[in-house]
Amino acid sequence: MDIASINHILLVGGFLLFASILATALSARTGLPLLLVFLVVGMLAGEDGPGGIVFDNVAAAYLIGQLALAIILLDGGLRTDMRSFRVSLRPALTLATLGVALSAGILGALAVAIAGFDWKYGLLIGAIVGSTDAAAVFALLRHGGVRLNDRVGPTLEVESGINDPMAIVLTLLLIEAIRLDRSLLDPAFALFFVEQFGIGALGGVLLGLLLRKLLEHLSLNEGLYAPLIAAGGLLAFALITQLGGSGFLAVYLIGLLIGNARNTATFHVLRVMDGLAWLAQAGMFLILGLLITPSELLDSLGIALALAFALMFIARPLAVTLCLLPFRFRPRETLYIAWVGLRGAVPIVLALFPLMFGLPHAQTLFQIAFVVVIVSLLLQGSTVALAARRLGVVLPPVAEPLRRTDLPLPVEPPLSFMQFKVEENATARGLSAASLPRFDNLQTIGVVRERQLRPIGEDCRFKAGDVVCVLAEEAAAPALVAFFSDAQAQTQSADDTLCFMLDGRARLADIRAFYALDLPDAEEQMSLSAYLRLRLGERLVTGDTLEIAGALLRVLEMHEGHVTRVGLSLTDGAR
Amino acid sequence: MIIDALIPPQRVRLDAECTSKKRLLESISQLIIEPDAPSQLDSTRVFETLIAREKLGSTAIGRGIAIPHGRVEGLSRPRGAFVRLKQGVDFDALDHQPVDLVFALLVPEGADSEHLNTLAQLARLLSQPSLCASLREAPTPEAVLALLAVNVAAVGSVTA
Repeated sequence: MDIASINHILLVGGFLLFASILATALSARTGLPLLLVFLVVGMLAGEDGPGGIVFDNVAAAYLIGQLALAIILLDGGLRTDMRSFRVSLRPALTLATLGVALSAGILGALAVAIAGFDWKYGLLIGAIVGSTDAAAVFALLRHGGVRLNDRVGPTLEVESGINDPMAIVLTLLLIEAIRLDRSLLDPAFALFFVEQFGIGALGGVLLGLLLRKLLEHLSLNEGLYAPLIAAGGLLAFALITQLGGSGFLAVYLIGLLIGNARNTATFHVLRVMDGLAWLAQAGMFLILGLLITPSELLDSLGIALALAFALMFIARPLAVTLCLLPFRFRPRETLYIAWVGLRGAVPIVLALFPLMFGLPHAQTLFQIAFVVVIVSLLLQGSTVALAARRLGVVLPPVAEPLRRTDLPLPVEPPLSFMQFKVEENATARGLSAASLPRFDNLQTIGVVRERQLRPIGEDCRFKAGDVVCVLAEEAAAPALVAFFSDAQAQTQSADDTLCFMLDGRARLADIRAFYALDLPDAEEQMSLSAYLRLRLGERLVTGDTLEIAGALLRVLEMHEGHVTRVGLSLTDGAR
Repeated sequence: MIIDALIPPQRVRLDAECTSKKRLLESISQLIIEPDAPSQLDSTRVFETLIAREKLGSTAIGRGIAIPHGRVEGLSRPRGAFVRLKQGVDFDALDHQPVDLVFALLVPEGADSEHLNTLAQLARLLSQPSLCASLREAPTPEAVLALLAVNVAAVGSVTA
């Protein structure tokens, strides 16, 4: 390759990346999933589009796909908060293992029935499109401004983080079975399965702990922590894959262990990793868009569409319903989880595997996977937020401060520098700093008025348009935002009626001394927390409500599985 | 709910100074028994009732407002008192805001659904940000009561 053609590649690559990132602004306006934008830009640049670039280097696409997947899974692990495991781990694990197998099996059977596939190929396509995409799910949720309740959100998140290894292992296994023409019941495959997960899990935990220890004792330039973690993740990925384990599982676990350590090293990492994971996604989708020849998609379009709909409306809902049966999710929550089985980059990368291994019909598999992903992104992707609202699995949005910067002060809990704008009709208007929400470590810094930073003295009253600067812990942000933003607008959001509070530990008998509430199945000595769990199930989360005659009880705060604060709204008898 | 019957100007105190939630409840217990309280009603009993309710969880409803309440014997109809503090006190509110507007409500034993109704209406009334902003500015007890009465009428017409 000469210098001119290398420069040509850089020119084209740079232009495509630049153009697609600009195009995301369009996505924000239209609500189209970002990934689709990248994919379309890639396709436009490709041989059927105006770009006319002929790119059919499967090996290069495979390399970029592996690299990007590893980074995305690492980032997914970093972002998964282990505290959400209390409610979500077991259902998510079930969905990620049994669920993937079930959905692959059901779709495989349908492929055999509808399209006359050989059954091994049917299962293979089922496995290829078997996993949901964490990044796709969460990019869309954040974008839609929707906050899911603590049962649904973390379950989807954890599921999409850990089901990729399962889909990958299943795909590899089926490819081997087809290539070597062996029965799936061959004991060698059971061993393969055990090796992939055993070595992957063990290696991931060991290397994760090692890397975590290293980060605690290492003093680096701030900007180097994220690259170090990314490099460490890649190293571990390759190492574990070499040893016969699932590198994808390992790299996810490493991210999980590091992300939950919360020390100064991880402090800066998340934002950088976010950009990195995003770049990985973008690059991968661009390449995949380039690789596909849209006109060829038409060959198997009918079958592909049939399978895409079979997956969305039969295989996934059936698998999800069966998996969640023991966990007593509410029906509408199960329905929502079934609907948000968003497919992303993983199926397309997995569909490259058969091409790499030179399997017969590999082209068809690739085209089908491609169509399934596009249909899923278009149909499910554009309705995540809408469906969440319709099915009532959302929590009221948490408003963010105008600006927030984490400060690396050696204090516990860590403090952030925050700015708030005083809005018209805010509770804060006309009040002084003495009326600020009370937090032990809250420090006022000053108020910006007429482009000047002024100290907040005793006689300083907040005015609309002021920008108030404080130092506070992260947990203080929602209270401060509420204090400074338009109170009138807050009351108009339906569920935000002000309510009295009850302690979760309060006895029902004592509560009844004040309110003649009709509480079915109640024992007098029971605590309110125990009663709510009795009525609403063990997997209670913030935002759950219990309606009784004359009143509405709402879980406001949870701590380690117990309800600590409950809101009591009285609905007057007139209604 | 008729404000006139619930609370006369004598039971409105403006710009009081208070250092803690306990002191605040003590002083509002004093305020609510005057004038012409039934003989069985004394401030200690009222205070104990209000404190007992706070032990179950705060009656602060957010945005600097609290509605301490309870049931007491010997009362023939609901009885209210209103205190506006010069400087808010910590009331263990969910939004962490110090409380500076306090409406205490006592209701008779027995009249259960009526009790809950009055309380529900009061909570809804004081949930209105514009009313609270005006209450913080009101110059006299009479002005406070007039504001409450006007808004009760408005809220009433919404729910009716």
